[in-house]
Amino acid sequence: MSDTAAFPTRSSQRASRRPLQAPQALRTLLRSPLGMLGLAWLVVIVVASLTAPLWLPYPIEYQDFSAVLAGPSAAHLLGTDELGRDVLSRIFAAGAGSLITTFLAAVVAIGVALPLALIAAASSARIETIINRVTEIAMSIPALVIIIAVIGAVGTNLYLVMTCLGLLIAGGIYRVFVGQAKSLQSQLYVDAAEVDGLRPAMVSIRHILPNMATTIFVQFVLVFAIGLMLQAGLAFIGFGPQPPEPSWGGLIQSASKQIYVHPWLMVPTGLVLVFTVLGANAVADTLAGGQGAPPSQVALGPEARRRRRELKAAAPVAVESAPEGMLIVKGLTIGVDDGPELVSSVSFEVAPGTVLGVVGESGCGKTLTALSLVGLLPPGVNPREGSIRWGARDLARLDESGLAAIRGREIGFVGQEPMRALDPMFTIGYQLAGAVRRLRGVGKADARAEAASLLGKVGIVDAERVLRSYPHQISGGMAQRVAIALALAGRPKLLIADEPTTALDVTVQAEILSLLRGLVAETGMSMVMVTHDFGVVADICDEVVVMYAGQVIESGTVHDVLGAAEHPYTTALLAADPHAGLGVVGQERLASIPGQVPQPRDWPTGCRFADRCAFAQPQCVVPVPLIARDRGDGGVRCVRVHELQLGRLDDPVPLDAATPVDGGADPTAPTTAAAPARNGKVRS
Amino acid sequence: MILFVIKRFALAVTTVFVVSVLVFLLVHAGDTTPGVVAVGIGGTQEQIEAYNEQIGWYDPLIVQYLAWLGSALTGDLGTSLTNGSDVLDEILRRFPVTASLAFGATVVSSVLGVVLGVTAAVRRGLADRLVSVFAGMGAAVPAFWLGIVLVFVFAVQSSLLPATGYVRFEDSPSGWFSSLVLPVLTLAIGGAAFIARQTRASMLEALGQEYIRTLRATAMPTWRILYVHALRSASLPIVASIALQFIALFGGSIIVEVLFALPGLGVAVQGAVGQADAPAVQGIVVVATLVVVVVNLLLELTNSFLDPKLRTS
Ligand code: SF4
Repeated sequence: MSDTAAFPTRSSQRASRRPLQAPQALRTLLRSPLGMLGLAWLVVIVVASLTAPLWLPYPIEYQDFSAVLAGPSAAHLLGTDELGRDVLSRIFAAGAGSLITTFLAAVVAIGVALPLALIAAASSARIETIINRVTEIAMSIPALVIIIAVIGAVGTNLYLVMTCLGLLIAGGIYRVFVGQAKSLQSQLYVDAAEVDGLRPAMVSIRHILPNMATTIFVQFVLVFAIGLMLQAGLAFIGFGPQPPEPSWGGLIQSASKQIYVHPWLMVPTGLVLVFTVLGANAVADTLAGGQGAPPSQVALGPEARRRRRELKAAAPVAVESAPEGMLIVKGLTIGVDDGPELVSSVSFEVAPGTVLGVVGESGCGKTLTALSLVGLLPPGVNPREGSIRWGARDLARLDESGLAAIRGREIGFVGQEPMRALDPMFTIGYQLAGAVRRLRGVGKADARAEAASLLGKVGIVDAERVLRSYPHQISGGMAQRVAIALALAGRPKLLIADEPTTALDVTVQAEILSLLRGLVAETGMSMVMVTHDFGVVADICDEVVVMYAGQVIESGTVHDVLGAAEHPYTTALLAADPHAGLGVVGQERLASIPGQVPQPRDWPTGCRFADRCAFAQPQCVVPVPLIARDRGDGGVRCVRVHELQLGRLDDPVPLDAATPVDGGADPTAPTTAAAPARNGKVRS
Repeated sequence: MILFVIKRFALAVTTVFVVSVLVFLLVHAGDTTPGVVAVGIGGTQEQIEAYNEQIGWYDPLIVQYLAWLGSALTGDLGTSLTNGSDVLDEILRRFPVTASLAFGATVVSSVLGVVLGVTAAVRRGLADRLVSVFAGMGAAVPAFWLGIVLVFVFAVQSSLLPATGYVRFEDSPSGWFSSLVLPVLTLAIGGAAFIARQTRASMLEALGQEYIRTLRATAMPTWRILYVHALRSASLPIVASIALQFIALFGGSIIVEVLFALPGLGVAVQGAVGQADAPAVQGIVVVATLVVVVVNLLLELTNSFLDPKLRTS
């Protein structure tokens, strides 16, 4: 069991996200109108209150008997109270005391919480536990009650009272700080600094503290807002500065007595207080960087409505239906709504009972392509053109309910991260039996039995125990088997697998692959396998498409593509991956070529690989079509394919041949595939 | 799980103990002795000292504390210095008022907060912006000011509801209800704002998780994804924020009781502090802490029950 409390607070969760660095936070603040408005108000209130004696229109006790309980006028901008005293003068005369003592509370809270957090982060688990316990106690005490008891003992000495408040709040602030201090502590450069022989205290001060600057400031402002409200509340019930000394809470309290005769009196002080707290919260929220929740997986509200509207408005495109069990993708283009294109005109076919591999580096659009085949694209990302023909339907133009009828029942999906693919709150039995009931319309008992037999099918021996388990109680490999069982629950004819082995241990990878191979052979279903591992392709696929920067750049049978790759990108990948084609599964290895896949908005109109291609030539800047392969069926997207004849080399990996070339500067292009493989090492 | 329960229980007991020591010390740190209060104005120095002597005020602090603790554990919290009534009786008489207020506000703010937060997260767009404004305002408007505004609108302008005062449930359930509407609302708005924010953030966090994709891939209807799976995972932080809110609301009820003239524990502690009624202050603070700690413990156990990782450990 972990030593943390059962209650994560809102602020501690917020802190677990990466905070903005100070300069970046400042820029965010400057760019946010709300944040700036809040800041401006705070500055005005603080400056006006602190300089009040210099500019107040009336002494605070001055009574204007000609204007008792008057509304705003030229003489009294905010009106007068029941004794004819000027409200504006009293508000700002009261300001300094309130602001200074509240400032004190914030200083105390931060001053206590911060060192505690740094100590807890730097010391042993034991000391951290002790500090955690103490702060938990502080957090579960009703602060206002204790503070009133303090007032009973020491009187309404605001400095003392606000110091106590600071101490009581420090527990909550500590929680925020400690999370962040710990994550900073564990970062590499801190370790490095420790190795350098700095004492832990110095590490904290030199490396951790500066990175916490934004959080510290945010918490300071939040405590300030809380303190201001609490102090006004205390003054309101008579535990504030004693009359005649004005205070904001006291002003509101005496205004409340006039509510029947002159309600206006409530307005000025109340609004000053509300705006000051609002201003502080606005500044804190802006600096904290808003809520950094991950993008939703479900289209919600306007997003969903928009898609529905678009689908309705779109002219029906007549697509001829695909033969039963055949998936035909034609000219599929996927893009962000009102944003860049992410996948450009992709075409391929998957015949019943065959396995298609989709290979490429990260950021080439292969996962998006896979997701579009099940209608699981993230909200805001949609097919723009082209079609995904499945039977009589076009999945690129199907609405949510149409897709729901296909998902799981006809096309199943297995994702990359098995541990995150299962809902941690429900047992595996609940999730699997639920899916069986939904997808096959069977009763509860039958579904349970079917769930157990599905688990047996995916190679889980003690099905009953696994059914009773929660996802956190099983291993990653086991979880992936469960995820495959889930995908099979509706007996789909096509399975989309998005890097199903990437997150697993090497030995488990091989097991999962052979499981998938077996399932394909047994059930006759077809499969689309997204991977960055040519070993996986060689092991399990019949056909393969290689993607680069949103395009298919080479396609064909596994035999042709792996044995005689024709595109410079494919050859470079293969060259960097000596085991490819040998069917050795394991190690992370799609390879590497110097440079990076360009971002969608940087895609050139010409060959998208030109930047990194060793054979790039001036003619490569024109749009490149998919040209029929030299040998075998399929296509290659390279204008120089016939000229280069890369596929005809007997040995595609001559490690010492060829002169390296800087992308096209050399007019005499080398004729081997080896050059690009020299500089980089494997990494996807 | 058992170990967890024991640990949490021990921490709860420690909290109450720490508070009892703290308030005991505070009572002794003041410069008024009980004798002064009990004998009243016009009492002689001898009378005062005799009284103090009698209640053991001059004994070592530790002896006095243990004596207090001993009788407190048997249900004797002493007698009030000002009117001689039994402190525990007084607390029990007032408890229903504060309980109605604090629990009422907790329920209202939880329901309102969760509904608004879920709506904001699910509907997005305009609804989301409106809830944001509400959450921002709710967190910034002090309860006592809001209370007066509510009184102005509902009691002064239109006499829909009573402005102040409390009707006991036994005397008139409907009177009890309407006497509580404004105080509960006053107290609940701030809490609702906080819980709405937490709920919205937790829902969005849950909806961004990868298992949501798995649910969609197995044809789970969207409403079930939202209201069963996402809400279930958001339930942990939501319950946690309700627990935090209860602490704040219980404390905040002091101000609201004073504002609406409700004869609860808050008014009592305000009076006791004003009159330096040591046994009353001590008793009320410790009982209030006890209530807060017990409710928090219950919510925490709820949460550990909701969390499969904790439950199965
Ligand atoms: S040779 Fe030209 S067209 Fe072919 S891949 Fe290289 S840059 Fe692209």
